[in-house]
Amino acid sequence: MRILVVGGGTAGTIIGNNLARRLGPETRAGKVRLTMLSASDRHMYQPGLLYVAFGQMAPDQLYRDQASLLEPNIEFHVDPVKQFRLDKNQVVTEAGKTHEYDIMVIATGSRMVPNETPGLTEGAEFFYTEASAVKMYKALREFTGGRVVVAVGVPHKCPIAPVEVMFSLNDFFKARGIRDKVQLEYYYPIGRIHTIENVAKWAKPEFEKIGVKTETLFNIREVDAKNRILKSEEGTEVPYDMLIVIPQHRGMEVIERDNMGQGGWIPTDRYKLTMNGHDNVYVVGDTTNLPVSKTGSAAHFQAEVVAENIASIVKIGSPVRDYDGKVYCFIEAGHDKATYAMFNYLNPPELKPPSKPMHWFKLSYNQMYWTSVRGLL
Amino acid sequence: MSTQNETSLSGFNEGDLQRLVEFAQLVTSAQDAMNDDIVNRLASTFSEGINMLDRLTRNEGLLHLLREMDRPENQAFLVCLSNAFTEVSRDLATTPPKGGGIGCLLKLLSDPGVQEGMRLFAMVASRMSDGLRELHRKGLGS
Repeated sequence: MRILVVGGGTAGTIIGNNLARRLGPETRAGKVRLTMLSASDRHMYQPGLLYVAFGQMAPDQLYRDQASLLEPNIEFHVDPVKQFRLDKNQVVTEAGKTHEYDIMVIATGSRMVPNETPGLTEGAEFFYTEASAVKMYKALREFTGGRVVVAVGVPHKCPIAPVEVMFSLNDFFKARGIRDKVQLEYYYPIGRIHTIENVAKWAKPEFEKIGVKTETLFNIREVDAKNRILKSEEGTEVPYDMLIVIPQHRGMEVIERDNMGQGGWIPTDRYKLTMNGHDNVYVVGDTTNLPVSKTGSAAHFQAEVVAENIASIVKIGSPVRDYDGKVYCFIEAGHDKATYAMFNYLNPPELKPPSKPMHWFKLSYNQMYWTSVRGLL
Repeated sequence: MSTQNETSLSGFNEGDLQRLVEFAQLVTSAQDAMNDDIVNRLASTFSEGINMLDRLTRNEGLLHLLREMDRPENQAFLVCLSNAFTEVSRDLATTPPKGGGIGCLLKLLSDPGVQEGMRLFAMVASRMSDGLRELHRKGLGS
């Protein structure tokens, strides 16, 4: 059986390694062939970018060689997919090679698209790439005071990030001794300050405690970078001295090009995690159109289900588990404290009071991530 | 009549509570002594350590080697090998190098100990060839 994993991010790597462990005897006997196609020979720990933006991690700490993370019975190629031929069970890569599969996993992730909003690239800071995170850190270091505006585009990766940024900004400016010279403002596109209701309920008084002004129903329309004004679809205009934006995200271009899903998000069965209409194609992580957070944690829990099901199909001819929508998100809450949100399709999160041990747990996880993607945790 | 709280505390004496307080102080002091960098370093070490342990425990070759090491004759062989290296190292350090040339080589080859050593290596090579062939036949050598 030929199993093809497209994408070497969190979900793809966990699935590859998990399958390699479960199907060790089958791969050695030549009954199963595991192949992974990735766009890069390096693997990035993406949640670390927030720490880079605040000078708490160096960029090189975010990377490992992808090959070093993979089990030896995975055939790994740095050669991204150019075209999906679902009707023929084939993909064609950028290098012009054709890979056939019996089962395919699509874990191509997502990308920010700040250039789709006029003026955003010129006028705002981001932290969703290494270069933008380093640039944001330098801008924060040089900032001497004024109005710092944080605005959020939708949909975006890591829903907790906007909340964490506010706490981190408060801590950062306090540590620099200029907090009294900085006004922190937070603009969110829906009718409350976070998409997850219980996170919004928890964050609102926390923001008030640290002096963050909030405004909801604010959807970014454009940025007048020259005059430093942020404009919303609702018609409001917000002047700023520093603008930090959580940019809108989309799925990968190849998904849109091949008409596999609007916005690059593939229609996915919420329990089986198969692509609608294609039972031998699994979709995981950011690539799905599921109503769960686009986070590494969702990708991780989905990957475990998909790997177990594919291994079961190989061994007994049938999947054995459903994905229940589980997500676990750490939330850095400032003052060296953190909490977490855990939820699934049926149960909303109930946030605990932030604590120092949770902050250390999060820091520990930043290191343990590499153990996690190797399929061990 | 005792209240519920009194009942639940009745198993404790002052010494127990004192020890609890001391334990709490120990935890607090450890927490105060820690910082983010220490947590990062400890977590990184643990993470890399557990990855290494995972690789070692799933390495069939290593596990086979460990099973072989349980056999007394293999342990004796390793001791002999170690002793031989120690003695050779001592001999090399204390004996001046020979002049070299064909004559010296012939003299060395005529030494019964050297011939015995060559026989040993030839036998090991022969057994290894058989073993490698068997591994490839089972599909484990590639």
